[in-house]
Amino acid sequence: MKFKTQASAIALAATAALSAGQASAWSLEEAAKPYAGTEVEVLFLDRPGYNAAIKMLPDFEAATGIKVNITTVPYENALGEQVRDFVAGGDLDIALIDLVWIGNFAENGWIVPSETFTKDPALADPDLDMADFFPLVLDAFGSWNSVNYGLPFDNYSGLLFYNSCMLKDAGFDKPPATWDEVMNVYGPALTKDGKYAYALQSKRNETQSADSFARMLWPFGGSFLTKEFKSNLNSPESQAGLKFRQDLMKYMPEGIVAYDHSEVVNALAQGDVAFLTEWSAFYSTLASPETSKLGDCLAVAPEPKGPAGRKPALGGFSLAVASQADDAEKAAGWLFIQWVTSKANAGKYLELGGVPARQSAYADPALAATYKFIPALVESWQEGVPEFRPRFAEWPAITEIVQEWGTKMMLGEVSTEEGAKVIGEKMEAVLAEAGYYDGKKPLAQ
Amino acid sequence: MSTRVRRSTIAAFLGPAIAALLIVGIVPLLYALWKSFHYFNLTKQAQSRFVGLDNYAFVLTDYVFWQAMGRTALLFIVSVPVQIAIGLTIALVLHRPGLTLWKTLTRLSLVLPMATTYAVVGLLAQVMLNQKYGVINQMLGWIGIDAINFIGDPTNAFIAAILWDIWQWTPFVALVLLAGLSTVPPEIEEAAQLETKSNWTILRHVQLPYLIPSLVAVLILRTADTLKLFDMVFTMTRGGPGAATEFIAILIERVGNRQFDIGMASAQSIIMLAITIVLARTYIRLFYREVR
Repeated sequence: MKFKTQASAIALAATAALSAGQASAWSLEEAAKPYAGTEVEVLFLDRPGYNAAIKMLPDFEAATGIKVNITTVPYENALGEQVRDFVAGGDLDIALIDLVWIGNFAENGWIVPSETFTKDPALADPDLDMADFFPLVLDAFGSWNSVNYGLPFDNYSGLLFYNSCMLKDAGFDKPPATWDEVMNVYGPALTKDGKYAYALQSKRNETQSADSFARMLWPFGGSFLTKEFKSNLNSPESQAGLKFRQDLMKYMPEGIVAYDHSEVVNALAQGDVAFLTEWSAFYSTLASPETSKLGDCLAVAPEPKGPAGRKPALGGFSLAVASQADDAEKAAGWLFIQWVTSKANAGKYLELGGVPARQSAYADPALAATYKFIPALVESWQEGVPEFRPRFAEWPAITEIVQEWGTKMMLGEVSTEEGAKVIGEKMEAVLAEAGYYDGKKPLAQ
Repeated sequence: MSTRVRRSTIAAFLGPAIAALLIVGIVPLLYALWKSFHYFNLTKQAQSRFVGLDNYAFVLTDYVFWQAMGRTALLFIVSVPVQIAIGLTIALVLHRPGLTLWKTLTRLSLVLPMATTYAVVGLLAQVMLNQKYGVINQMLGWIGIDAINFIGDPTNAFIAAILWDIWQWTPFVALVLLAGLSTVPPEIEEAAQLETKSNWTILRHVQLPYLIPSLVAVLILRTADTLKLFDMVFTMTRGGPGAATEFIAILIERVGNRQFDIGMASAQSIIMLAITIVLARTYIRLFYREVR
């Protein structure tokens, strides 16, 4: 299908288009005039959404005269690089914020509330339309304590990617709808002849805590914390999820604790596993004949439901203006963020490999034929949990604890109860040190 | 004409080296020492405060720290003797006369593992040891051995880290010992060869005394390297699975760069530095006394 390609000039024109009854003369070019020649610095990752934005960037720079200097870093380094830069008063003018960093960045005053710019008629695009962002995504990725800081930029939801041919050969005409089906129906039927039903990426890094540990907590009714911010990991629901993960390992490749995203995606792409739960961003890798043997066998569905509902993994990044930037850099940075996440550019971003968080971008039903992940993605963004991983400033410390003990659980070095107890104690110690239990900090996650 | 060198000339030659040492070595060390007495987390600077010896008390009673130290010690105890044994064998072979071209080629090839970036060594391990697609398991398959889960099994991952360390650093040991063997006066070796045909006797009574300084250097450098071992393990296993390969440098990096607790990481680093100094002094005392 030929997507409604919007050439850059059209996109820019649309961005600049007059909005009925609103500011009659706002255009990106006019808004950017005072900042022509300004350079803004931002970190990017080497992922499809960022590569899409890089391809779009020349249009923005030509229209505005603003230069966006991009430094690409691995995900594992992105938080540390930014924290050190903000602490040292460095060069970054735009913050790239994983949803679990938003509390950290906001509480430290490293990012500027978006209202600062949306209330400025000289900078605010009348067509910004914040309500067009998926509410869950805008809330989870860009907001903290009911204040919005960032606009959703690189957006993911956990999806079920599956090899429909393998399922068909095993007698299934649809993917598993529930985790119970995964365990009791699909797992036994598809694990044979050196092939496995499922692969759950569980390497000891953020993958362990986000993609493995948390993924099995929420659908079973579990969570990291109670409302009082005490550990909820030994609750019957959390334990049910963690024990389910242990039991499900018999349908996963041996050594799954060493599998990161690339390994599980490769396992599905090479036909070694029948399905996996992965971020939507991996669609292009699994769909490309250069990196996948799946071809037409690739199919996508929402993640299976647990007793508590679907609760898919939620992850992604927003862009926000950094407080340390000077006024010109702040304005230029905002114009870039507003432009790259705009409704007008969402189609092109999608076409180039990004995943926009604009509801309007997915309005065309024909898009689903080209981008198979879209229906599942849109459905997933209706049911996600913003605090899938707590987004407060203490998460970097807590995720390290979860990574270590979550892996030990999977290896059988400790039981789920023992592991959850240790994580809970260490997690509560971190939260106590931060002041959550003596009223110094609001119980926000 | 006076042959005395003017003080300003001495200062001009020594000054840059001292300044460089101060800037890249002493000042950061003193800063780390100062920060080790503070609660100092990059993401919670408002809570920064002087805590005296609290960080040291925590580290010294923290089982995670001592477990990481234990793993590091085990790595050292297993890998360094193997490196010395294989390295000495290689050095003795290369020290023998003849086969000049082959020995030159061998010397050159010995440099390759050392010259490979540590992180790349770890990435190579990750790829080569992959259970499904790795070349090592493929080769094992050719001789009928089932694929081994090198990276995903705690014991295997630890063994893999040891083997990779041995692969990378045995050539270094061999070259240092080869240099040590070149200090043995040829006439003494020749005289010894006239006295006995036992290579072991020659090694024990003639060559080994000359190798002691090289061995001490190897021990000191390999101790420091083992305590600092980070890049290779980080890219290979990231300290996992579980904590199976969480050596002391991996732990300190985790505390400092991922939890941003600079005060605690500084205390851990200072303790590690103290241990390194004590071990280095111990080697020198023990082995040089042996020489005397």
